[in-house]
Amino acid sequence: MLKRKRFIFAILAILPTLAIFAYVRLYPIADTLRLSLFKWDILSRNKPFIGLANFRELTGDHLFLDALVNTTIIAFGVLFLTIPMALVIAALIFHRTRSRMAGFYETAVFIPHVVSLVPAAMAWKWIFDARLGPLNALLDFFGIPMQNWLFDPVLSVICIIVLCSWQALGYAVLIYIVGFKNLPVSLYEAAKLDGASGPQSFWHLSIPMLKPITLYVSVVTLVSGFNVYAQAFVLASDAQGAPGRQVRVLVLDMLENSFRNYRVGYAASEAVVLLVIVLVLTLIQFSMLRERGRA
Amino acid sequence: MKNASVKTRISTRALLMGTAFGTALLSGLSSASAETLTVWSGYPEMAPFYEHVAQGLKASHPDLDVKVEAIALREHEKRVALGLTGGQEGITVIELSGSTATRYLENSLLPEAPDDVAAFVKDPKNFDKFFSDTASYDGTVYGVPLFRGQGALYYNTDMFKAAGLTEPPKTMEDYSKYAEKLTKRDASGKATVSGWSLRLSGGGQGIAEKFWINMHQYGGAILVPAGDGKWKADFANEAGRKALKQYLENIYTLKTVTPEMPADADAFERGQTAMFIRESWVIGDIAKKAPDLKYATAPLPKGSIALPTNLYVAGDDADIGWEFAKAASSPENLVWLLENVGWLPNRSGVDYSSVTAKQPAFAAFVNYPQGYEFFTLPSIGPIEEILTRVAAQLVVAFGDASMATDDAKINAFLKKASDEVNTILDREGLLAK
Repeated sequence: MLKRKRFIFAILAILPTLAIFAYVRLYPIADTLRLSLFKWDILSRNKPFIGLANFRELTGDHLFLDALVNTTIIAFGVLFLTIPMALVIAALIFHRTRSRMAGFYETAVFIPHVVSLVPAAMAWKWIFDARLGPLNALLDFFGIPMQNWLFDPVLSVICIIVLCSWQALGYAVLIYIVGFKNLPVSLYEAAKLDGASGPQSFWHLSIPMLKPITLYVSVVTLVSGFNVYAQAFVLASDAQGAPGRQVRVLVLDMLENSFRNYRVGYAASEAVVLLVIVLVLTLIQFSMLRERGRA
Repeated sequence: MKNASVKTRISTRALLMGTAFGTALLSGLSSASAETLTVWSGYPEMAPFYEHVAQGLKASHPDLDVKVEAIALREHEKRVALGLTGGQEGITVIELSGSTATRYLENSLLPEAPDDVAAFVKDPKNFDKFFSDTASYDGTVYGVPLFRGQGALYYNTDMFKAAGLTEPPKTMEDYSKYAEKLTKRDASGKATVSGWSLRLSGGGQGIAEKFWINMHQYGGAILVPAGDGKWKADFANEAGRKALKQYLENIYTLKTVTPEMPADADAFERGQTAMFIRESWVIGDIAKKAPDLKYATAPLPKGSIALPTNLYVAGDDADIGWEFAKAASSPENLVWLLENVGWLPNRSGVDYSSVTAKQPAFAAFVNYPQGYEFFTLPSIGPIEEILTRVAAQLVVAFGDASMATDDAKINAFLKKASDEVNTILDREGLLAK
């Protein structure tokens, strides 16, 4: 009887939280799924059910396909740039923990993560500027041809990858440092006694033991990479007519379809595709963690 | 003694609280009695104009509180879409182009103008039929015409003089020849000042609009009406090819302009381009940012875009909103608009000579040659989507150097872009079969 009362009390206690969670997290997802099956024009009173027609249209929409390819390249580009760099930087900072500069190193790496995105992107826009940017000035100094960073179809995507990686690095380093601090010191001491060098310990001990951290950071970085928007928007924008090349990404395409073309149902079908991608990535993370748990 | 002190403190607190409560109540009452009006504009440079109109209404409405919210056009369009469908509160005067407003009018999201305003708009003495039609839907007036975006050529007279050019270009062929002569280059031959600034990159529909203006000079159009409210794409033809080829020729053959060069009004004001096509607001912008710039304007070879913008009013019991919209179109305010902002007012029968005499650059916008042909954006729902998609395709074409000397490639590109436009029209039931 007491057990039942406790159970009811627990349910009642948790109910408000569950209700808020359902309303702010689950309901929008369910509603997006519903909208994707309708010709849901934001202005029109007539919003007919059209089944999977929005998804069929997506398969032939070159702007959506461009956005999907660009977003995927950016997300994986950020991942492959951020993870190895974060691991190495975290290792260096961790092994200099006793240094008076340790706090400075950690802060310096983490600051880009907390800096407001728009001014940061504006600063990078200047760095990449084809005529006045310091990057091209540096290339020119070494006799390397200057590049149209923000206008070339390939280079403009690389610019976004660099900007996103610069921002993601601080968070990844912070998580890795926590991971390093939790590694058993005895293993490193044993390895040292066995004659292992620093790089050998890093390669054969740190990297395998930090696998769960790597998986977590990878998924977080990849998911945020798939949600890239503001970076692409700011790098391509300007006060008037002289912006960079607009790199089309999924969120930008969704916003354009929703609020410029008023096709909310169609934008919802894009959101569903993005949701599926993110879900698949998360499932991969869980399955990999589970495999490790069994091992 | 202690009790007395406590009593004093209590009574002081009570007095303070009472005063605060009373003040809040009174301010609430006074704000309730004041009329509040919000103006939504998509052009930040229009804010002083609406404030000027509000100031003029103070005499008859001393309690009128006008909040002018002028933001960038694309954000303004999003705000209107969400505001009107979400049910915004209060009375709002909304600035919208006729082509954009149609979608709201089709879905009864904006109210009809009251009879006196409708009579004012329909009176041919006040507005040309073209303007009253764009403020109407199915013959009913919904807005008050205010200003229009109309293009003309701006050219730097010092640069023309240095290049030995004595008059503005008259044909589109002249434009390329002039651009070549006007381009300044460094020792390696790389352009440092563009001869003719073209819109080559960025997002949104602006690229397609500018392309349409150039194509119009060759007799082409992105969309043409085909009767019964139906439309079709009409640029996979000679006019489209000539227009696109001219862009590519200037980028890759003559090398008078590149995508990464500074462009548009900012570049013109800084002396980074010799000429470009833009609307009249640039005159006001130059007066503020580069008052010493030596420049002149000229009509385009065949005609220009004319994109009328109207004022609509949303909200219940919106008499004050309509009064504001009508006041904005008063002769005194329109002269102020032209002189201080530079957008061209749409109202007829107003004497603008005091402004045009002072600023000769307006001449190209008002004294155009006989037979000068205007076009406007079609008032159809998917117009923004069509232009945005054509713009996205054009950016790809502008980046393809191999197209510059290959007409077959240009034709294939135009056919592909045209098919995409027709697919959108078909989806919306607007395609002429």
